[in-house]
Amino acid sequence: MSRSIGAAGRARSHGIRAAAAILIAAPVIAALLAACEPRPADPEAALIAKGRDLFFNETFDGNGRTCGTCHRQEDNFTITPSFIATLPKDDPLFVAEFMPALKQNFENPRLMREFGMILENLDGFDSLATRFTMRGIPHVLALRTSVASPQGPRTGWSGDGAPGDGSLRGFAVGAVIQHFTKRLDRVPGVDFRLPTDEELDALEAFQRSLGRKDELALPLPLKGTIAARGQEIFLDDGLGKCNICHRNAGANASLGGADLGNASFNTGVEDLPDHPALLAGEPKPRDDGFGIPGDGTFNTPPLVEAADTGPFFHNNAVETIEGAVAFYDGEAFNNSPAGRFLASIDSSGASIELDATQIVAIAAFLRVINTLENIRLSNESLEQSMALGFFKTAEAVELLERATHETDDAIAVLAGGGLHPDAVGELRNVRRLIERARGSLVNRRGLTREAIRAQQRARGMIITEPS
Amino acid sequence: MGSWASAVGMAFLALCAASLAHGQMSTERYIPIGKSPGVSQKYTSIGLIDSVSVVRKTITIAEPNVRRTVIITGRTRIWIDRSRLKLPNLVGRFEDLQRGRRVEVKYLDPDRHLPADWVKVEATAP
Repeated sequence: MSRSIGAAGRARSHGIRAAAAILIAAPVIAALLAACEPRPADPEAALIAKGRDLFFNETFDGNGRTCGTCHRQEDNFTITPSFIATLPKDDPLFVAEFMPALKQNFENPRLMREFGMILENLDGFDSLATRFTMRGIPHVLALRTSVASPQGPRTGWSGDGAPGDGSLRGFAVGAVIQHFTKRLDRVPGVDFRLPTDEELDALEAFQRSLGRKDELALPLPLKGTIAARGQEIFLDDGLGKCNICHRNAGANASLGGADLGNASFNTGVEDLPDHPALLAGEPKPRDDGFGIPGDGTFNTPPLVEAADTGPFFHNNAVETIEGAVAFYDGEAFNNSPAGRFLASIDSSGASIELDATQIVAIAAFLRVINTLENIRLSNESLEQSMALGFFKTAEAVELLERATHETDDAIAVLAGGGLHPDAVGELRNVRRLIERARGSLVNRRGLTREAIRAQQRARGMIITEPS
Repeated sequence: MGSWASAVGMAFLALCAASLAHGQMSTERYIPIGKSPGVSQKYTSIGLIDSVSVVRKTITIAEPNVRRTVIITGRTRIWIDRSRLKLPNLVGRFEDLQRGRRVEVKYLDPDRHLPADWVKVEATAP
């Protein structure tokens, strides 16, 4: 009896001590968890978050598409045939296949599925069966660096993608009218609603937040022999001449000390023989580019993001980055207004003359700078994931997924050019670590930290870090 | 050398910028009066047509505080805004610019001196 009373007393005593420990520890734990939570978002961050939500979820009462239907985050904010092949039949991308009102003259499903092309009525909506263009979907990365020009904003493939003032802010209005409509009548308030001013502000802020905010400063201390030579050719205004229109591998031109901003050129892409759409026997009227009627010019896209966002050019005419570089050594470019201009300022009257090794070297350079950007973006997502509190698991996992996509791209871009096999191996290690972090309940941060370190090692194999 | 480079730069600029950046015209047609992003009321006039000169090809718009005479050229795009009627907007003609109708005019210049770039005229009946 006394033993049982003693045992009960001890148990009670343990219980009291445990309760006291919890009472003491609880505020400490709460304070620690609170410290782990991110600070409240600033107004700009809140606007970007709102824009992100609109970009991926808002249909504007239309046919079910969102901006993210074509500009997929997991496909570098563009959409490729290989990604399209993974989508279910009822994905809103395919509205022309299952909405009767959109079956004719809204999209060309074959060209969409086979070549990632979408239909645009850039010259008006009066003759839908004959007046249209078939274009690729440009990514929306690094827009902060690529939209401005002395003549005003340049949006879309031909610099005139937005109605109103032509700005990135207004771009969504034109996209809703062109791509979100329930019927070809395109009546606001019936077939869609137009974005409000506040929504346009948020969408613009989100798009400007994507990708690079700054230009590279070339030349970079690259370690790879071929990529380093490619960079030399790229920067040589007498050989590759790439840096004239793509200063620092961006989207802005510079010549004779004049900063031309983002410029549009007629480079003869429309004159390429054997365009995939025409080989497929599908209608593809000639695309006349900027303005109505068009002047044949198209925008200069940034090149840092090029290697993992093909197919290339406004009409998805070329599948590989090597092919895109080789275009500038071909007849179509050299006979174009831009090609003839380059020849006119060349001491030997040549436009761009490159051999196969030089073409591959420039492509290797573009692959390497794309990979460095992949690593930067992946690192950004991993760092953001680390900064999230314990209870923000869903957000952390989403950020880790983004890092996975970037790492996958880096691996594919390097491996596709046979470049830096050592870095490819390390990036595969990064991917494994991110995968483990995504599935870990207790060691997410530790594994993420390891992934960041492995990523830095991979980067160190590609470029000499400043000491 | 510097002047040569500048001259080449200017020639290059002319090559790549033969036309100024501008808003896309095809989707502009479907945007109701007063809703054009970054343009409406900032660079446009919105008001009722007070008079029409068929000979001079001009219209005079009565805005709340000012009357403005607008030159219409062969290059001016005219659209009939039927969005309030829940009907698709149409391409219009000079004859659709009638006294008493509500219009929005965008000019070829931000100072509203040059001819109209486009005119949207509101339809009151189908």
